[in-house]
Amino acid sequence: MQAKLKVSRFDPETMGQGQRRWDEFELDVHPSATVLDALIQIREEVDGTLSLRCACRASICGSCGMRVNGDAKLVCKTRIVDTFKDGETIVVEPMGNQAIIKDLVVSLDPFFDKVRQVDPYLQPDAEPDQGEFVASNDSMVNLLTAMNCIMCGACVSDCTVLEVDEAFIGPAALAKAWRFVEDPRDDQRDERLKELNDVEGGIWDCTRCFKCVEVCPKDVAPMDRIMEMRDMAIEAGNTNTPGYRHTESFNKSVKKHGRLDEARLAVESAGYTNVPRLIDLAEIGIRSTLKGKMPPIVPHKADDKEKITRIFERVESERK
Amino acid sequence: MKFAFYPGCVARGAGPELFDSAVAVMDRLGIEWVELTGAACTGAGVLQEKDQKLGDILNIRTLAMAEQLGLPVLTICSTCQGVMSQADRRVRRDADYLEEINSYLAEEGLSYSGNTTVKHLLWVLVEDIGVETLQKTFVKELSGVNLAPFYGCYIVRPSDALGFDEHPERQTSLETVIEAVGGTVVDFPGKTACCGFPILLINQRNSLRMVANHTGTASELGADAMVTPCPLCHLNLDGYQPKARRQNNRGKADLPIIHLPQLLGLVMGIDTKTLGLGKHLVNTRDIVRKVDSIPVG
Amino acid sequence: MYKHDVLIIGAGLAGLRAAVEATRLGLDVAVISKVHPVRSHSNAAQGGINAPLTDRGDDWEGHALDTIKGSDYLADQDAVEIMSSEAGDAVIELERMGVIFSRGEDGRLGTRRFGGQLVARTFFVGAITGSAILHVLYEQALKHGLNTYEEWFVTDLIVEDGRCVGVVALDVKTGELHSIWAKAVIMAAGGAGRVFEPSTNAIICTGDGLALAWRAGVPMMDMEMVQYHPTTLARTGILLSEAARGEGAHLLNSEGERFMLRYAPQYEELASRDVVSRAEQTEINEGRGIEGNVLLDLRHLGREFIEDRLGYLQEVSVEFLGIDLAEQPVPVRPGVHYIMGGIKTDVDGATIVPGLYAAGECANVSVHGANRLGANSLLDTVVFGRRSAVHAADYIKSVDAGSGSDEHLNETKSRIQSLLDRAPNENWAAVRNFMANEMTKGIGVFRDQRSMEGAKAAIDNVDERINKISVQNKGKVFNTDLIFTLEMEFMADVGKAVVHSALARKESRGAHFRTDITERDDENWLKHTLAYQDADN
Repeated sequence: MQAKLKVSRFDPETMGQGQRRWDEFELDVHPSATVLDALIQIREEVDGTLSLRCACRASICGSCGMRVNGDAKLVCKTRIVDTFKDGETIVVEPMGNQAIIKDLVVSLDPFFDKVRQVDPYLQPDAEPDQGEFVASNDSMVNLLTAMNCIMCGACVSDCTVLEVDEAFIGPAALAKAWRFVEDPRDDQRDERLKELNDVEGGIWDCTRCFKCVEVCPKDVAPMDRIMEMRDMAIEAGNTNTPGYRHTESFNKSVKKHGRLDEARLAVESAGYTNVPRLIDLAEIGIRSTLKGKMPPIVPHKADDKEKITRIFERVESERK
Repeated sequence: MKFAFYPGCVARGAGPELFDSAVAVMDRLGIEWVELTGAACTGAGVLQEKDQKLGDILNIRTLAMAEQLGLPVLTICSTCQGVMSQADRRVRRDADYLEEINSYLAEEGLSYSGNTTVKHLLWVLVEDIGVETLQKTFVKELSGVNLAPFYGCYIVRPSDALGFDEHPERQTSLETVIEAVGGTVVDFPGKTACCGFPILLINQRNSLRMVANHTGTASELGADAMVTPCPLCHLNLDGYQPKARRQNNRGKADLPIIHLPQLLGLVMGIDTKTLGLGKHLVNTRDIVRKVDSIPVG
Repeated sequence: MYKHDVLIIGAGLAGLRAAVEATRLGLDVAVISKVHPVRSHSNAAQGGINAPLTDRGDDWEGHALDTIKGSDYLADQDAVEIMSSEAGDAVIELERMGVIFSRGEDGRLGTRRFGGQLVARTFFVGAITGSAILHVLYEQALKHGLNTYEEWFVTDLIVEDGRCVGVVALDVKTGELHSIWAKAVIMAAGGAGRVFEPSTNAIICTGDGLALAWRAGVPMMDMEMVQYHPTTLARTGILLSEAARGEGAHLLNSEGERFMLRYAPQYEELASRDVVSRAEQTEINEGRGIEGNVLLDLRHLGREFIEDRLGYLQEVSVEFLGIDLAEQPVPVRPGVHYIMGGIKTDVDGATIVPGLYAAGECANVSVHGANRLGANSLLDTVVFGRRSAVHAADYIKSVDAGSGSDEHLNETKSRIQSLLDRAPNENWAAVRNFMANEMTKGIGVFRDQRSMEGAKAAIDNVDERINKISVQNKGKVFNTDLIFTLEMEFMADVGKAVVHSALARKESRGAHFRTDITERDDENWLKHTLAYQDADN
């Protein structure tokens, strides 16, 4: 089978930061070859100067995260025949949001700094006198979701928040944090949640864009883990955030009107005492009004709003 | 072609120009519709943070209402599309869960059995109407007009909820429509990224950086306008573009953000007032003038 | 200049376990690894870790006996006794560090059965046990603020006055060479599967540790004992854990027969690995294979069970072969997986060179003898990783640091420069692929004098070519071309030791099965082979 690859090259010894070169390769590969097989073939047979990381070839070591046709992937489990149209050029680049060291190799220092930031180790108050901690199998299977993470960096590569804000703890480290928050053997749950709630770049900065869910090669679904921690943080009493107020206001609006009340959502998320933010909102509001598109002061309501309210009430009463 | 129409909260609230333009365009396309006025907000993923099941009940309720009418759901909001598709996928994968969800709907005499679908207008254009038929409704061709697509997250991810396996054409549907109207696609990496709207009220700085990046990059690449099927993206990319670009030194707010139906309306020759093109915060005058200068026919 | 009390080479389970222990003992410890710790090949261990837990009715003697039997009696019984009796504490300790072991109904650790044992005493995390433990040990390393040299490649050990006092290493990211001095060095650099092709091993498993110690004068012991795992995925050679059979999967030949019932009526599919691999190879050789494979059948286990307990196996079968284990049997064949042989150490990890310790797959204590039982490798790493650190901590009390001289560093610098200056000639990959294919042919599941001599001829050929390998990449930053060339030199050393050891052993035992001498010969060969660099055998 023929494969066409276009590979991003960067050599810090001869090129300036931010520059790159594209090299094209045409190869005869095995019909079930992966993108990694093709890259190894290039490295071994065509161009020994090509640098990339890889080790296990079996999607467990997490070394070979790269962008393939724009999306972060583990190239060892990206089979050419399944992923590309016949004859389509396979464009391979280093992962995003991480500094390039050479060719397809990026610096993982920021990645692991963020992991360190979440105190990623079990913190029990005391160990059992004898034997292991007793915990249900379900509670361990639950943690498997995040323990499947192989720290390949794919989610960090494509995270839309990290693109604009280096301080965001990011999907991988937050999934790691979730693993301890959810571990029944850990006794720092509330402290962890408070920290993740309060800290700059914490759980409320995720935009819920699903990028990390989409690119994760191990189904860790970091975004889902972050959303679960938002709810847990609220349950643990962390309610002084715009994020909390946003969620509450949204809920209240849908419960009451069946619909979203954008104007009130904005004001309530800011907080009624947050004067600078309210002035800012008023500015946008006035300009919108001048254009004839201010959200109605009397919110638009669903015809069935009473029925919708009843559903809310039933679910809420069952939750308690 | 008849649909149960679910416009979404923004089209019925802060973005009335979307509703008006969509209705005008659907009439031209011969799409019949009945609005699901009793349906609830999808929750937009926010409600789901707190209680996914509650969100699923509301969305399955909407689908059940359409099913009762024997109609597929039509939406004009990327976020609504995604959130409803995700709920639909969850109940389709798990019969016990569907039964549980249906138990909340029984009181209203509703029950969902998976016999309907939810489709964004964007997909209907490409799949049900088809480019050729679509083009027959056009009175002009936007040659020389550069248009940047901006999808909105939930109409592209999570891909396994969106039927891309059976409908791979959905992944490039917006480009297909831009080409169908005769425009030139301005491709840029941000087209499937987040617009920043979900955190606008939580971390405005980051939200506006996203707006500035996307609109700034598209402008630099020569886009005359950006087209989006998502009214939430529109709120941010249009409403906050001036502030975002000022704060992030990305030049003047010069990129009009056009709702998908507005784009179609322009080539169908629908007047700009009906399309609500005067209701945008980023002035649409230049793009409208450019379109006006193209002769009909 | 870098200086530590203890330097550990390798950041897999043995290395990290040693590091955690040495840190707890208050030493200045550093770990050096050519890959980031969480990329280490311990990740690939799937099925579990054995431990006879006495508080639930098991006893260490039972585990020891199974291990010794499985080793075809070549393992050292004192070493096995230590491993078996320390196993329970080792596993409990891992659990307390945070490993999310599978549980029973009572919330206590649950087990599955593994090969060569009639008792279920294998503790596990789905089919990612190695990865789950590695990540937890890395968490512990972060907790203790361990010093790490990540992506640093060790080129040489520094030996002064007969003592190992440090290493010379290449910082892969900058291309600079440095000396790192330490009063004791623990070699935990893993296996050498890449000496063979195909192999379940990662591309990084190039026997660096074995060769480095060998060059420092330590013998490699029982290197002919190369384990062929019975279930590696067709074509790709990816491991499919023994856990599949532990959970009840069957092996079928082309006639749909569960052939293991014939070969091992008591243990069936869970006979020890050498036995199962030979049975499979016999079926294939006698025409009852399917394109060089046999079938592993999990269908009767049911989808839910497969996905819950063997999720990773399902993932690789689907991703790499497009086979859904709940629907279809998957073709497998024996593949090189593990090397029982290694750097000869005592039960405290000490080698004959003072200051040099070894633990994990690169070491040979010997607890695996001629055939390792599944799920004993993880146990080996944590038990002897810890013991090495304890002994090293004691040892360094009475020794001084090395000289700090630049002599070794300069030697390495000029050696590498001359390598980079070579005129274009051989390519490392061509030499490696030739050697690895020939090694698998010659030192296979079945071997004889002729096949082994074929492998020796290949090694001799490699010997001639290796000094002609030229490095295409002349740059400094992340020059993997240079690294692979240095690894090729390590692999050639390991290959040489394997071939000579194999030719030396004139009997069949465990993984070393000669079709020309099919009997075990306890009278003459109940002993280890030792390969030294200087002597030719």
